[in-house]
Amino acid sequence: MTESAAAGIHPQATAASAPIAPTKIQVRDLHFYYNGFHALKGINMDIPEKKVTAIIGPSGCGKSTLLRIFNRIYAIYPKLEAKGEIILDEENILDTRYSMNKLRSKVGMVFQKPVPFPMTIFENVAYGIRHHERLSRADMDIRVEQALRSAALWDEVKDKLKQNALGLSGGQQQRLCIARGIALKPEVLLLDEPTSALDPIATSRIEQLVEELKSEYTIVIVTHNMQQAARCSDLTAFMYLGELIEFDRTEQIFTKPSKKQTEDYITGRFG
Amino acid sequence: MQANEAATAPAIAQEQRAHRDARDDRLFSWLLMGCALLVLVCLIGAAGATLWGGRDAFATFGWRFLTSAEWNPTDDVYGALVPVFGTIITSFIALLIAVPVSFGIALYLSEVAPPWLRTPVASAIELLAGIPSIIYGMWGLFVFVPFFSDHIKPLLIRYLGREAGDTPGTEHVSWIAQHLPFMGKLFNSENLFGGSVLTAGIVLAVMIIPFISSVMREVFQTVPTRLKESAYALGSSTWEVSWDIVLPYTRTAVIGGVFLGLGRALGETMAVTFIIGNKMQLSPSLLDPGASIASTIANQFGEAGGLQKSSLMALAFLLFVVTFIVLLIARLMLRRLAQKEGR
Repeated sequence: MTESAAAGIHPQATAASAPIAPTKIQVRDLHFYYNGFHALKGINMDIPEKKVTAIIGPSGCGKSTLLRIFNRIYAIYPKLEAKGEIILDEENILDTRYSMNKLRSKVGMVFQKPVPFPMTIFENVAYGIRHHERLSRADMDIRVEQALRSAALWDEVKDKLKQNALGLSGGQQQRLCIARGIALKPEVLLLDEPTSALDPIATSRIEQLVEELKSEYTIVIVTHNMQQAARCSDLTAFMYLGELIEFDRTEQIFTKPSKKQTEDYITGRFG
Repeated sequence: MQANEAATAPAIAQEQRAHRDARDDRLFSWLLMGCALLVLVCLIGAAGATLWGGRDAFATFGWRFLTSAEWNPTDDVYGALVPVFGTIITSFIALLIAVPVSFGIALYLSEVAPPWLRTPVASAIELLAGIPSIIYGMWGLFVFVPFFSDHIKPLLIRYLGREAGDTPGTEHVSWIAQHLPFMGKLFNSENLFGGSVLTAGIVLAVMIIPFISSVMREVFQTVPTRLKESAYALGSSTWEVSWDIVLPYTRTAVIGGVFLGLGRALGETMAVTFIIGNKMQLSPSLLDPGASIASTIANQFGEAGGLQKSSLMALAFLLFVVTFIVLLIARLMLRRLAQKEGR
């Protein structure tokens, strides 16, 4: 293990807290380059299983970049490069031999703005499933219903599954995107500022949903809303200028952070 | 009294102003309507003029004008079936080739190609759209058709169709034609040289590819990045993202682009006249020469008179009808697709 990795921050290792869950994702000495620009500088963190891990930090700190490496969505663009290791269930997902299809079925992602596909509500959910499994019509109906129920959307859309998804409200569309993600039965769910385009009521529904989903999924949520991180996460990571400054239990971060930069940020002195 | 005047003077001015504005707005909207009507008048005028010019042909031959394949200036008997058929079949071949190729070009340029290559290739395609059709005609006649006759036609006949032997009964029937008899009919020709319906279709495809592909490329670029990323995040490949997300998202504009190309193919005159072979015969074979509406008119208008001239006018009217029907089909297709999608 390299020196920086040894010096890295693991929640289990901090004195104040005992391990809270087995580790799902291990990030080891991760560097990321945008067209030569050094965007992430040696990130080390252990993300525990079936917990909500929030990543906070000012704009441009690299929090979305980090999230986008967890399912390698960055790889669809040229000139982006990640170095280091991300170990998901004992396999390094940054290894070029790691199957993209497998990764995308294990790690689901929900984006900032709701982006339903130009299809019916049913097809939006069924679309992803078809890439990974062949299901009979009846089984597909069940899977779609399950996913919509888990996303707390079923009751609102059960009578209009054949309608275009673009007719739903913003909050419903975002829950549809979550349903689309969990329909694949992933193990990890990445949420990239999932409520930044939603009104307060829709936001609280999503937060409630995150709370419900964590019994089954490992959730990583990037947010610029500190209250949101405080409300719905178990662990919080604070990032600044491409570095992970502090990573600890959420109440620890928000009550007695160990680093001055973290304290400055959460008390609103910068960012 | 004075106070009263002071209050009403601005009010009157305001009322005058409002009155003037209303009048100007009315004039302006009439002007705009006039511009729009001008198009309608031109369309009706052209359709009406050709219908009127073709009245003798319609009156003499009646429905037979549509169903007869005979076009015989010596006996003064005319039927539109060959050119109508030729127009539709050449345009159909052109679309069959141009649509997938354009889709590929547009996808490559908007999704796959490295950024430095995108602009030069896109400009080259636009240049292709600017080449006058006479140049395509010359290229087709002097370069493409001889090359096609020497190298491609024999292969098509040998592997897809049937080849006449030296004596009757010795013909060679390809494996495909044995299993799919219609292929034998499509690729069967005694005319080894000169243009054919197929060459005309291929050259038309080259001519309409720039139109279709530049429309497609432009609309593909309007697909939001986050929509494509969402599909990639679910495990879609580039092909699946293109086919399931990009194409449905841009469907209306893509179909519009395809029909823009089709409209051009249906009416294309010079290039087709050079390479279609101009023979008034109805043949199921794509390798035989044929004629299109536009090529027939271009070839015969100079020396035509009387009933022949009227028949050519009637043909021109039929071209209107064909184009109209094609546009109608496009509309219906869009409506069906929209219903299917749940809008």
